[in-house]
Amino acid sequence: MTAYIIRRLLLLPLIMIGVTLIIFTMIWALGPDRLLASYVKSPEALKTPDAAERLIKKYGLDEPMPVQYLKWLGNILQGDFGYSMVGKKGVLPSMLERFPYTLELTIYAIVPVVLVAIWLGVISAVNQNKFTDQFIRVFALVCWSLPDFVFGLLLLLVFYSILGWFPPGMVSTQYDLVMRTAEWKNITSMPTIDALLNGRLDIFIDALRHIILPVLTLAYLWWAYLLRITRSSMLEVLRKDYIRTARAKGVPERIVINKHAKRNAMIPVITVAGGSVMGLLGGTVFVETIFSRVGMGRFLADAASLLDYWSIIGGALFFSFIMVVGNLVVDVSYALVDPRIRLE
Amino acid sequence: MDEKKALLQVEDLRTYFHTEDGVVKAVDGVTFEVFPGETLGIVGESGCGKSVTSLSIMRLLDEKGEIAGGKIFFDDQDIMAIPESKMMKIRGNDMAMIFQEPMTALNPVFTIGFQIMEAILLHQDVDEKQARKLAIEMLKKVGIPEPEKRIDEYPHELSGGMRQRAMIAMSLSCNPKLLFADEPTTALDVTIQAQILELMKSLQDQYGMALVMITHDLGVIAEMAQRVVVMYAGKVVEYADVHTLFKNPRHPYTWGLMNAIPKLDEDKEVLYNIPGVVPDPLDFPEGCRFNTRCPLATDKCQKEEPPLVEIENEHTAACWHIDKLIETIKVSRAGETA
Amino acid sequence: MPAKRKSEFRKVMKKYWTNGTAVLGTCLLFFFIVIAIFAPQIAGVNEMGDNYQIPRASWSSKPIPPSAEHPFGVIGGRDVFYGVVWGTRTAFRLGLIITGFAALIGVIVGSISAYFGGWVDEILMRITDIFLSIPFLVAAMVMTTILGKGLDKVIIALIIFGWMSTARLIRGNILQAREEQYVLAAKALGQKDWVIIIKHILPNTIFPVVVQMSMRIGSYVITAAGLSFLGVGAEPGYADWGTILSFSRNWMTMLDQSWFAIVFPGTAMVLFVLAWNLVGDALRDIFDPRMRS
Repeated sequence: MTAYIIRRLLLLPLIMIGVTLIIFTMIWALGPDRLLASYVKSPEALKTPDAAERLIKKYGLDEPMPVQYLKWLGNILQGDFGYSMVGKKGVLPSMLERFPYTLELTIYAIVPVVLVAIWLGVISAVNQNKFTDQFIRVFALVCWSLPDFVFGLLLLLVFYSILGWFPPGMVSTQYDLVMRTAEWKNITSMPTIDALLNGRLDIFIDALRHIILPVLTLAYLWWAYLLRITRSSMLEVLRKDYIRTARAKGVPERIVINKHAKRNAMIPVITVAGGSVMGLLGGTVFVETIFSRVGMGRFLADAASLLDYWSIIGGALFFSFIMVVGNLVVDVSYALVDPRIRLE
Repeated sequence: MDEKKALLQVEDLRTYFHTEDGVVKAVDGVTFEVFPGETLGIVGESGCGKSVTSLSIMRLLDEKGEIAGGKIFFDDQDIMAIPESKMMKIRGNDMAMIFQEPMTALNPVFTIGFQIMEAILLHQDVDEKQARKLAIEMLKKVGIPEPEKRIDEYPHELSGGMRQRAMIAMSLSCNPKLLFADEPTTALDVTIQAQILELMKSLQDQYGMALVMITHDLGVIAEMAQRVVVMYAGKVVEYADVHTLFKNPRHPYTWGLMNAIPKLDEDKEVLYNIPGVVPDPLDFPEGCRFNTRCPLATDKCQKEEPPLVEIENEHTAACWHIDKLIETIKVSRAGETA
Repeated sequence: MPAKRKSEFRKVMKKYWTNGTAVLGTCLLFFFIVIAIFAPQIAGVNEMGDNYQIPRASWSSKPIPPSAEHPFGVIGGRDVFYGVVWGTRTAFRLGLIITGFAALIGVIVGSISAYFGGWVDEILMRITDIFLSIPFLVAAMVMTTILGKGLDKVIIALIIFGWMSTARLIRGNILQAREEQYVLAAKALGQKDWVIIIKHILPNTIFPVVVQMSMRIGSYVITAAGLSFLGVGAEPGYADWGTILSFSRNWMTMLDQSWFAIVFPGTAMVLFVLAWNLVGDALRDIFDPRMRS
């Protein structure tokens, strides 16, 4: 088991290197001229005809690809991700200051996604083909067909523009001013948690009001997917022989379902649950954009709009890293849950 | 003849399955009794309804199946009338079952110790420590070496024979009065088969429990059973004690089954095989269900279903032409000895 | 032999057409196909030439709610009805092209991987893993940033990052099929490897790919629409559902004024994807139990 974990841990940097290679190749394919634009802070520098050539040489943009790649990789490993137009500072600092906001959003979203989806998936499977099941299935299918950004826009339309209950943004303006004062203790950078830690219940509630719609939007797509997977996994398990054995022993039906069946049904669900958490991260792009929030998703969206190469590269590396680590965690937990795998 | 009271009485049991293709009458009027401490064998080809019979008695049918008629009395209780909550107390406790495929019948994510202890904790008034001790004892009884170690192992860590032993341990852990064994040795190697059957016999003696041995293998029947029910297409075709059955079979199907077994002291060129296949349960033939494959079938067999008649003491069979069969057997046996 | 095949086919057909969701999905799909084909008749054409450019209906930037003249309203100066109708064609183009090519690449990579095995398989699978490590949307955004904005770039980006799941699927199926009795039998008869793959294995493993493809068409169209919404896909004014939605970004705080720019293209998107999902789901229900046996 430990050998398995170690093997996967060793694979991690290799995969990341592969990812950096792919991403760098894309960047390099731009060619020296377009890349130059991102190095140059003002058009003034390119006034003279040979300025371009000189600068290309200066930044090493004409060197062979492997050399450029290694130079770039070296910079990355030292923390230099380049300059971000979106953040108006280095890419890495820009990302680090935005990450907690996205983290907050994702944490709030995981709860409905995982818990509700699994809960409903089990109910759906146990009541197969009865009305409850059909209803849940159709509901999930429709949700799966409604794109998250359309859903978000609709939520904003109804609950903000029409009803005025849940505004976009992070916090209301007056609280934002409070949070910028010197007395404010910025511990986690997450508005809801910091509000509690600073003892300001009013700010906490205000932040919650702002986060409700984004959380719903972020969660809902993956919720539908996870529910379907849970349902089909549960259905398969309920057909198995060992369920019949458990009943033959006189185990009450409630325990048969919640213990005997669920443990087995969760095994494939974990992989998907892990994958959906990954997908949640991608969803933050739309959610943060629509609801005017600060965060990694917004960072990426703005970078794409502005053609800010270094920012988008940085964002891609960041998300990929989380993805790779996430997959590792999923694989390991898979082994923890299924004793058959543990011994390999 | 015993004056003992029957532990299990099944009268005219009918179990039907409602599938999208129609109604499957898997068990269609089955009657038999099981006495305490004895072994009843239920023999027949796959699809004859023998497994469904035992599942019906334990009320373990899935939602498509229902007991459509008949009576089941176990230990003086009307099994069909008691609520599910009471049934759950009987299952695993007074009535237990072991299945054919031990690999799939054991939950892969729980240790065998857990699965045995679960049965114990459910039905007996002990704490976890005691349950564990009892479980280890059971494992020892079924012949698993190093039970203290094995108890914490998972099903996939044991061999096929061990798994079946573990299943037996699990089902006997609460000392049931009646054990259903549904093809317990079919999935095992021949050498292991003999061991498991030995084990079951000795445990039965120890515990004094009744055993219903469900199998398609007449050899197992010969070894284990005292009385035998022969089933075909959802019906009982013959019912006798084991010696009588082998000596004087009175139904063409029983005779066919016996002939299909190659005997070591015979030198047959062609192995006898009952012609035809088991009929489609959605579409049983009219009249006697065996008529499509029976060498002695006549017009009457195709129109009227023969009732179970008592031929001699404690021996019943359902056939219109028992006398023809007796003749055929006489001739065939004379030919063998010639 | 042919008679048996026919009854199999009839059985499958019967199962399909008695399945309520399958019928619904197919009808929806048919509905969209009709709209796409008759777009010029339904919404008219653009006199300027490029039918995929939504013609200007007004020069002010204020959104105009639906009226008899503009049944779906006007946003960003463009007629939403025209955009939604012609957007159907765009949706089909996007969906079929992306899915087709991504599936093709996936089948090729997966088949090679499964056929050759050994280190070829290892390397190809590691490459697949690496591609899978970048979240789909993020990868697509990086590509469009590099390649530039525009629907054709979106198509390329989605194809480049969309083949992996098909590759894995077909590889898994081929590896499984290889162990099946009928393959071993063919091999024992001396049949050549590649003939076995094409004649025996592929026909049996292609169905899951078809099912997967039909489910993914919907998701590719959504992703492409999302990219357009963010502004990195088709340029504003293009007849594409996502692009129409992106106009509403200018009216975020007053969405009630531009609700029609969200509701109409949004509904079109939902129904389109729902249609493919229903059909794919029904196909899977029908083919799955057959494949497992």
